[in-house]
Amino acid sequence: MIYQGKQKIWSDYQKEIPSDHWFYVRSCIRQSFFPGSEKWFLGICRDMLGKDIHETEHHTTCGGIAYHCDVIPQLTAMTIVARQFALMTEAGYKNLVASCITSFGNYTETLETWREFPELEARVREALWKSCRREFEKPEYVAHASDLIYKFRGEIAEKAKFRLVDHRTGEPLRVVEHIGCHYSKMFPHKGVGGAEYPCVLSGMAESWGGRIIDYPERRHCCGFGFRQYLVKANRGYSMSNTHKKFESMEPYHPDMIITNCPGCPYFLDRWQYVISEQTGKTYGQNGYGIPVLTYEELAGLVLGIDPWDLGLQIHQVAVEPLLDKLGIAYDPAKKYLGLNEKDIMKPGLPTVLRCC
Amino acid sequence: MGKLFDELSKDPRLKEGLKTCINCGTCTAICPAAEFYRYDPRKIVDTVQRKDDAEIEALLRSETIWYCGECMSCMTRCPRKNGAGLVIMALRHLSIRLGYFTESEKGRQIWPLTKALNTNVLQYGYCVHPATFAFEDHPESGPVFQWALAHKEDVYARLGANYQGKGPGVLRRIPQADLDELKAIYDETGGTERIELVERYSRAKAAEMGMTLDEYTAYTFNHCSPGHFNNGL
Amino acid sequence: MEGKPNKEQVAIIGAGIAGLEAAHQLLRLGYAPVLIEQADHAGGHVAEWNRLFPDKAPAAPLVEELLEQTREATLILRAKILSAGRLGDGFNIRLSDGTSLHVRAILMATGFSLFEAWKKEEYGYGVYDRVLTNADLEHWFNTGDDTRIKGDLKRIGFVHCVGSRDVKAGNTQCSKVCCITAIKQAIEMKERFPEAEIWCFYMDLRLFGKKYEDFYIGAQRDYGIHFIRGRVSEVSENIDGKVIVKAEDTLNGKPVKVTLDALVLMAGMVCNRDIQPLAKELSLSIDDDGYLKSRDNIGSVTRSDRKGIFLAGAATGPKTIPETLAEARSAALDIHNFLSGE
Repeated sequence: MIYQGKQKIWSDYQKEIPSDHWFYVRSCIRQSFFPGSEKWFLGICRDMLGKDIHETEHHTTCGGIAYHCDVIPQLTAMTIVARQFALMTEAGYKNLVASCITSFGNYTETLETWREFPELEARVREALWKSCRREFEKPEYVAHASDLIYKFRGEIAEKAKFRLVDHRTGEPLRVVEHIGCHYSKMFPHKGVGGAEYPCVLSGMAESWGGRIIDYPERRHCCGFGFRQYLVKANRGYSMSNTHKKFESMEPYHPDMIITNCPGCPYFLDRWQYVISEQTGKTYGQNGYGIPVLTYEELAGLVLGIDPWDLGLQIHQVAVEPLLDKLGIAYDPAKKYLGLNEKDIMKPGLPTVLRCC
Repeated sequence: MGKLFDELSKDPRLKEGLKTCINCGTCTAICPAAEFYRYDPRKIVDTVQRKDDAEIEALLRSETIWYCGECMSCMTRCPRKNGAGLVIMALRHLSIRLGYFTESEKGRQIWPLTKALNTNVLQYGYCVHPATFAFEDHPESGPVFQWALAHKEDVYARLGANYQGKGPGVLRRIPQADLDELKAIYDETGGTERIELVERYSRAKAAEMGMTLDEYTAYTFNHCSPGHFNNGL
Repeated sequence: MEGKPNKEQVAIIGAGIAGLEAAHQLLRLGYAPVLIEQADHAGGHVAEWNRLFPDKAPAAPLVEELLEQTREATLILRAKILSAGRLGDGFNIRLSDGTSLHVRAILMATGFSLFEAWKKEEYGYGVYDRVLTNADLEHWFNTGDDTRIKGDLKRIGFVHCVGSRDVKAGNTQCSKVCCITAIKQAIEMKERFPEAEIWCFYMDLRLFGKKYEDFYIGAQRDYGIHFIRGRVSEVSENIDGKVIVKAEDTLNGKPVKVTLDALVLMAGMVCNRDIQPLAKELSLSIDDDGYLKSRDNIGSVTRSDRKGIFLAGAATGPKTIPETLAEARSAALDIHNFLSGE
């Protein structure tokens, strides 16, 4: 592997990401499965870095998952997107930041399609006016939330309490990054680093002390496949794709995986559990799995936020081996407590996969 | 020129997705579905490019067009700037419109998807929502999430969410007026009509298969016949 | 210019094989050709090559013979053209070494550039340790020096059409010589590594020239080289540093994945963009593929649409060596006819 070769390609895909004033749209999946990540994205950007990130309660799903499950027409999907743009315009913002890769892809595809077919944009404007009495300006800039964390990675590194280094050996942690297909595979120039060697996550991990692992199936899809996961009969597709990635990364002994898209960490985490139940195989050390983190969770850990405030307890793969390497203190007794230390019982344990 | 090809051509995704194909196979080479299913996106694009109505009709009635995961990995590599995934989306759209989707097992899954996702969108304003994410349907979500779902109010409160609450925040309740706007968008843009059409064809198919609609919903969601996979299963 | 009195000078931009052969013919026709070359050697790309298809003839004697035949011509190396423009019924050309030429005819023998293989990012050139280009391989044949070729190679791949026939790479044209070059190089690798399995991944095999098809038959029959009809989609590296290639065997309709000890990318000919400012100064038309535009593509390939300016070789598009040499002779005759007022 020639690192300079990647740097040369990365330099071709640097985005000029605006530094402030964003209209924030949430992710259905991130909220449902990684609620702490969205809370701490705002906590980091607003409270720690002082950025203006606006959220309105009136925004909704972008419709991306329904669109990619083929259960709404393209015109419906585009008009839902246009409504989000209208809310942004009404709030006085020009930059849109999405917490979801499917959304980011959906917004980008919509804008690119309108560029190619202006008559479609006109039709959407008419439909939005008739249905909602709203009008909109197109965003000047559409970012994915990870683009902002990437942009602020240096400031986060300056404030960091922990580095991605095994504090017992001084060795950088081995980090696998997983980008999420809709980030830049459709429109390579919209993603930091392009489609083949994106640097949005590797840039964060390296700034915070980790070492990125490149493995043969790095670019392969996590296996969500929309209908291929959401319909129970199809889920073999989803698991077999995740399985393929783990088999490919296994020889490199990764300490963790960081992810861009809200869906991927769910699949990479949960399918490790299912693979262990079905085949008895685990991919981490000593019977554990490989912890899978969102980039917000990783930034939060580096900044010294308590792992149970970040929501790492609702991952199926135990994160404790990673916390031990990083030298992050945690209270095992508090892991599964509710608000104000309320006792809400504990989850059951898997048969094979070691958990804490 | 066939009538079906003309219909497909009206879809912007077909214009974006199929310029000129040279059958080089870069799409199939990295397609997650091609490794798993009896599926070759190159052949689908080539079939559409041939504009042969009989072949296109066979595709619209087939299992094949439902194997794609819409990951769009194919778009990155095509030397002619095609997107097989976009061609698939146009084919699926037409298959649904013509009611051909009920003729394949994978196509019939459009019904449980239509029902679940549009309920989430129109009732909650989310595509996926913990209130409708049933552990029984998702045992792979694991014992931790089973616990989290059983204690969702507490777990989401612990993690700083505003679950079903007023105002902004994670998993906030989206105001009814906004949900009404989503419904109005569905009505205006063909979303509602699409739901009704899928339901009509699915009811007819359920009757033909001797099932109630609920039985049909559960069956299409859960059942996988042999023959889909490229390993001979 | 001093010397060569009484003979009319002709400026030849580029001292590759097109420029040299044209100079050779112009000398014989009684002119004083001046070869203007930006590199530090004459012979262009061919001088870097080891052996030539379809006979595996060594490249060096061809270049040496051309240099021998043009000894009487003026050769200016490391030349930079400061300005070039019309003056009277001819052209004035000023070079950075102080040379100033006044000529009635210019031959553009400016050749091609090799596609920069790193731009096909998915193939990992410059990123993965065992990925090299056709040109790197010829360099290795010449010098034995390339750290990407490690030990006894057991499995070798060739990727056709790298940067050619590729709308995304901005080059729609077929580079013409790569199919046959891949076959030549595959055979040469098989000769050096008799135990190796070799795969050529192609979109179409375009073997149009004399003996090319025979060469292909030989590669299959005598050397056991595998030909897979499928464009390589993705290259990656495994933990041993080996190269993994994904393509579809389109004749079989199945995705294929092979692990290789070396992968050779057939980087294609692309237009030489460095000469575009000069072309602009001389009001020469550039074709939509970026190459210099011939007056037409059938009967007047070596004539430009500007009086007194002629074209030869890969300046107008991908060419084989025999085609290039033939065009150089044709252009020399065109120049002679033009200068002698016919």
